[in-house]
Amino acid sequence: MMFGRVAFMELRTGWKGLLIFGLLVVVISAGIPLIFPTYRNSLIEELEGASKVHLELPNEQGDMIILSWETVEPATSYMVLEDNRPSMVTPNIRYLGNETSIAFEKDFEEKRYYAVMAVLDQTSDPVLIGIAATEKGVDPFQELLKNPAYAGLTGGRNFSMLEVKGFVALEYYSWSWMLTGLFIAYLSVSLIASDFENKRMDVMFSAPISRRRYILEKFTAMNLIALFIVLVQIAGLIWGLASINALNEFSANAVLLSLIGSLPFLMVIAAVGITTAVLFQKVRTGMGITFAFVFAEFFLYTFGGFSKSLEWMKTISIFKYWDYFSVIIDDLFKVGDFLILTVMAIVLVITVIRVFQKKDIPT
Amino acid sequence: MEQEKVIEITNLTKMYGNHVGVKDLSLTVDKGEIMGFLGPNGAGKTTTIRSCLALLTKTAGEITIFGLDSHRDSVTIRKRTGYLPGDFGLIPSVKVRSYLKYLLSLHGSSSTKKMGSLAERLQLDLDRKTNELSKGNKLKVGIVQSLMTDEDLIIMDEPSGLDPLMQQEFYRILRQEQKQGKTIFMSSHNLAEVESICNRVAIIRKGQLIVVENIEVLQKKTGKVLEVEFNDPFKIDEFTFKGVSNIRQDNGRLILTIHENLDNVIKALSNHQILNMNLKTYSLEQLFLKYYAEGEVGEGGDA
Repeated sequence: MMFGRVAFMELRTGWKGLLIFGLLVVVISAGIPLIFPTYRNSLIEELEGASKVHLELPNEQGDMIILSWETVEPATSYMVLEDNRPSMVTPNIRYLGNETSIAFEKDFEEKRYYAVMAVLDQTSDPVLIGIAATEKGVDPFQELLKNPAYAGLTGGRNFSMLEVKGFVALEYYSWSWMLTGLFIAYLSVSLIASDFENKRMDVMFSAPISRRRYILEKFTAMNLIALFIVLVQIAGLIWGLASINALNEFSANAVLLSLIGSLPFLMVIAAVGITTAVLFQKVRTGMGITFAFVFAEFFLYTFGGFSKSLEWMKTISIFKYWDYFSVIIDDLFKVGDFLILTVMAIVLVITVIRVFQKKDIPT
Repeated sequence: MEQEKVIEITNLTKMYGNHVGVKDLSLTVDKGEIMGFLGPNGAGKTTTIRSCLALLTKTAGEITIFGLDSHRDSVTIRKRTGYLPGDFGLIPSVKVRSYLKYLLSLHGSSSTKKMGSLAERLQLDLDRKTNELSKGNKLKVGIVQSLMTDEDLIIMDEPSGLDPLMQQEFYRILRQEQKQGKTIFMSSHNLAEVESICNRVAIIRKGQLIVVENIEVLQKKTGKVLEVEFNDPFKIDEFTFKGVSNIRQDNGRLILTIHENLDNVIKALSNHQILNMNLKTYSLEQLFLKYYAEGEVGEGGDA
């Protein structure tokens, strides 16, 4: 008889819960990018006359900065003051002359402010045209990212929360495993353990279904559910990013690849859930252990970033192998990581089938 | 002629840790018979049945069904076996019809004809939701699922709990199944039930098989207890026939055990004015005591 009937029955009886969860995931996935513009604006300083002054930064340190400003009719000359505080208490004079555009070498690292003044005549004080800064706003995460706790999470990558990529990576991806991973953990345990608890196994195994097929069908159901959730995440996130016109900065392709990378991650969690369900045959016990597994893996991953001597912790954490930062920040999808987790899930499932074949089904 | 054996259990032992589930049990069920498997709760009936279906692993011994190894060839065996578990749960929140169709599909069948007729005979509403069923209706779902796939072997673990009319209909269904050549192996803790439906009975107690007997032979050996209350005087001698034992008088009532020649007893009773009469089947425990007393217990005698 056709493979998939047991899996299909799970989806059929559980579609309502899945739909509700799916809607929740859409709301969260689409909602988080929507918060971004407000968040960024709250960090960006309102500099006086900023619209009249334009500062173009070079990509490389040591290249030229180009500063230009609007012509002011009565001005006889212009003066550019430079300071590392917007208050300009201790400025240097960067330029004095008739040009409305200047270029100079970026030979500093810190944030600097430039006040462009118009000199009208010899007797009156110069008038401010506008202020520009080498950085747009203050990123509160810049310092935090150097903290080992975050460095462990981000792989030491430097990015800005003022960019949509950085914001979504840190505010959405870095905790979405709690949403999806724990849901998969809960479901994979209960899909099998509840068959034990509700005494459905005897009828199931009076049909010509082998234990291997039973496990494979449940695992298939879990994979389909995981795929559904990931697709819903992708759709929600793309929708959210499109709503704030940010798809040119954070492409739909990057969303797709970064979240597809979580599929084998979720498969491993499902396999662990199935394993604990078969071993303990109780929903509560299985869920407790599977949840503990997910959290332990997460902490291993972050602790692993604390120092070189703790790196081995990272290696044995499944979180290392779903490197969404790599896709989002470095534009690199790690096929090897994807395969490592897939193989791990398959090995776990094969093992649990072997165990289940030798176990009694309790009454 | 040698009967074709459908189930052949040889020296089955199942231990749960240090606790004995079944010990050294050997039993065969022949093709076309209804074999009763009788024993009190906890005797090992369910353990034996679930070992046959490979739900439990064996500690020792062999089980072959249709000549196939019960564990290695379990899936093949289950293609030809219907099973009603003693205790089972249903998938919640689906219609009984969908649930049964799902189970049919697991057996690789899509024919709902027999499912429909069984449900009709047992008065089971297929449009009810599985989580809205009473205990009796749940049992009906179990009975229908075990019979609807039309398998050669039907194993039922204590299929009792229907109301009396339905129980009779259920027995009629089983007899019809038997006529079609099906083999039925059913456990029970109710001697009367086994007597009314089975051809043979295997009695188990504390994990060990005590006896396997034809029902007629068992009935002869154990007999039935008759209690009569008279409105006129009677003598014990009047009822002393071959096949009648334990005759005594108790508070003006006559108590005797009939093994055979019920007819003679009835004729003798017709000479009297009778106030009340009660014919009782032995309870299981009394049956065991009888078997022990008569020294027919074999290895079970240490209990």
